[in-house]
Amino acid sequence: MILIAFAVATLAAIAVIAFCHTNRQMNAVSIAQGFFFAAISGATIAEVPLPVSSFLVGSQYFFIDHLGMYEILITVVIFTFAAIYAGGYVESLIATGELERGSLKLFYGAWSLLLLVIVLAFSSDNLALFWIFAELTTIISAMLIAVLSAKENIDAAIKYIFIASTAMLFSFVGFIFLFETSRSVFGTGSLNWTVLMQQAPLFPPGMMITAFTLVFIGFAAKSGIFPFHTWLPEAHAKAPSAVSAVLSGVLLNVGIYAIIRMAALVHQTSAMAFASPLLLIFGILTVGIAAFSMLPQKNLKKLIAFSSIENMGIMLIGLAIGTPIAIFWVIFHIMAHAFTKASLFFSAGILHRQYHGTFSGDAPDEIHDVFRFQPLAAWGIIIAGLAIIGMPPSPVFFSKLFILFQLGTVSLWSLFTVMVLLFVAAGAFGYFVIASFTKVSSPESHADARQYRTPAGMIIPVVVLIALVVILGIFFPSGETTFISQIVTELRF
Amino acid sequence: MIDTATLEGFIRILFVAVIISAAYIISTRNVLSLVSVYSLQSLTLAGIAFSLWLMEANPVLLAIAAITLATKVLIIPYFIATVQERIRIKRDIEFHYVSPTTSLLLSMVLMLVIYFVFSRIIPASSGKQGLLFFGAVIGISLMLMGMMVTFSRKRAITKVMGYLSMENGVLVFGMFVTELPFIIEFLIIIDLIILVLLTTILAVGIDSTLEEYHNRLHRFYLWGETEDVS
Repeated sequence: MILIAFAVATLAAIAVIAFCHTNRQMNAVSIAQGFFFAAISGATIAEVPLPVSSFLVGSQYFFIDHLGMYEILITVVIFTFAAIYAGGYVESLIATGELERGSLKLFYGAWSLLLLVIVLAFSSDNLALFWIFAELTTIISAMLIAVLSAKENIDAAIKYIFIASTAMLFSFVGFIFLFETSRSVFGTGSLNWTVLMQQAPLFPPGMMITAFTLVFIGFAAKSGIFPFHTWLPEAHAKAPSAVSAVLSGVLLNVGIYAIIRMAALVHQTSAMAFASPLLLIFGILTVGIAAFSMLPQKNLKKLIAFSSIENMGIMLIGLAIGTPIAIFWVIFHIMAHAFTKASLFFSAGILHRQYHGTFSGDAPDEIHDVFRFQPLAAWGIIIAGLAIIGMPPSPVFFSKLFILFQLGTVSLWSLFTVMVLLFVAAGAFGYFVIASFTKVSSPESHADARQYRTPAGMIIPVVVLIALVVILGIFFPSGETTFISQIVTELRF
Repeated sequence: MIDTATLEGFIRILFVAVIISAAYIISTRNVLSLVSVYSLQSLTLAGIAFSLWLMEANPVLLAIAAITLATKVLIIPYFIATVQERIRIKRDIEFHYVSPTTSLLLSMVLMLVIYFVFSRIIPASSGKQGLLFFGAVIGISLMLMGMMVTFSRKRAITKVMGYLSMENGVLVFGMFVTELPFIIEFLIIIDLIILVLLTTILAVGIDSTLEEYHNRLHRFYLWGETEDVS
């Protein structure tokens, strides 16, 4: 029932978009869709006890438990804000000829469809079904990257599709292994996660190791884990900023979500002794690569993209530790990272509109007189930047702190390494901001420079999201804490 | 009814055909024949699924044979060939990291490695069990060979062929290792079709200059339905 409502709303939105003519109308439809999704998810939380039974969801292949609901909420919030933001942003893209008017329907249609597919992925109980939805998110988001009429965008989209889809085929082989394991142990095979969680303690560890490694390859590529991260900076930097926010805040979560689900299965068996070091090594390598790539970075959006890679590494490290506290903070970190990163990309998008003449995907930025032209975006980058590198009292600070505490109980050497790497990343971010935001040119040299008038629709998401980040860091409502604890219990960590 | 031993022999011959086609896809420079070889490879797969159905009488296998025949032998190759004709790419002579000879040697090594790894996981014995073992080895080898094509070629359209042949490998592996529900096979095909559609359209763009690209898209109505200038 719930999912049918989502699907019907999306189909209605796409149908309306097909008949719209202007950006404003199509954008209004996207915003309405976001609010409708938010209303349904809100009502579900308020009215229905989680996990939602299969009757309400509509099929045995779907379910919504606390983790799924949590991810859906993050998705819906970010999509709604990004839709509000996209209105002004797309208008400006059309004005400068970066987006053709003819591609508008494609853009908004793909946008609506992407929201639906992500929500369906998070409510799939069947892992193969989840795989297909995850694969569809790759294709649809690649469409959103390629929609701009620039060859480098097509390049980035093709790279994204091929790296992610190729790796995802390995995941599928992993799921085949899992299915065969379940079939050989219990007679009838199943790929439903809820069933597998019941069966997992009896699975032979050897098969679980093979399955986990294969699944990990695919979803590591999806969430930008080293060595499959190469598509991420280009795709995130070249996409329109509204799309970058969604890519970073929501789509990376799809990959991590799958790894969390899979780790929960492996955690039931003795194979965790193999999976933990694997996750830890790749987590540390990912943080390291991201930190050292951030250091020489001259392009703001690429810098933010590498910071996403770094945060994915942190989540892997937390997952590797595997204690309930670590998992709690990994789950918390997903939300903290998503909101902070979305506000960063929104602010970067405003700067992109201001300096777009020189601000291409590859070239170094030529940001100057930023406080004169775009003070709000500058402060957005500064505050959200402080939040993402983990300054107290941001939510990222708490999740990083507690994950590091837990890491210290496992291995002091890895704690030491990760801390150094985090300092490097924070330093890189700070260096970039100080170097580029203090550039002031003489008054006559920018006499011809025009200030980009930021529409209210692009300001509101930045302000509200940053407020949300600050509130999340200061207050820990008991509802939120119990909700996340519930997730950890359901994952049986 | 054909007896099981004959069918097994037949499937083994088809295995050889699959490997030969994969080797051809890795080494050829001629893009046009690439599509027909892929089509042949898929036909071989449909043949394997059909023979397995004759052996096991599992209706899912027949359905797989049918859907493979419809989509991978006919629709997808036809679509790619059409697009190719329009963008007039005849040869792909640019390779990224490895030359065809090296990748052929590499894939031989890979197959040996997979054979030894699998002989540890799955006990290889004669008869039906042996066939399953070979199916798994061939499936994964095909997948890795497809991956080599994807990463060693420059042209997006050849990369698509690599991805498609990887997917064929997953299909072979799935057929022999376990019995997946048909709905999943069906959904994968849908995913495959969307991916091929999108990447070939994008490939038109990447293999030509931007202005040409837009002109071509308009001329062939690939972008047509969104061309509602208000």
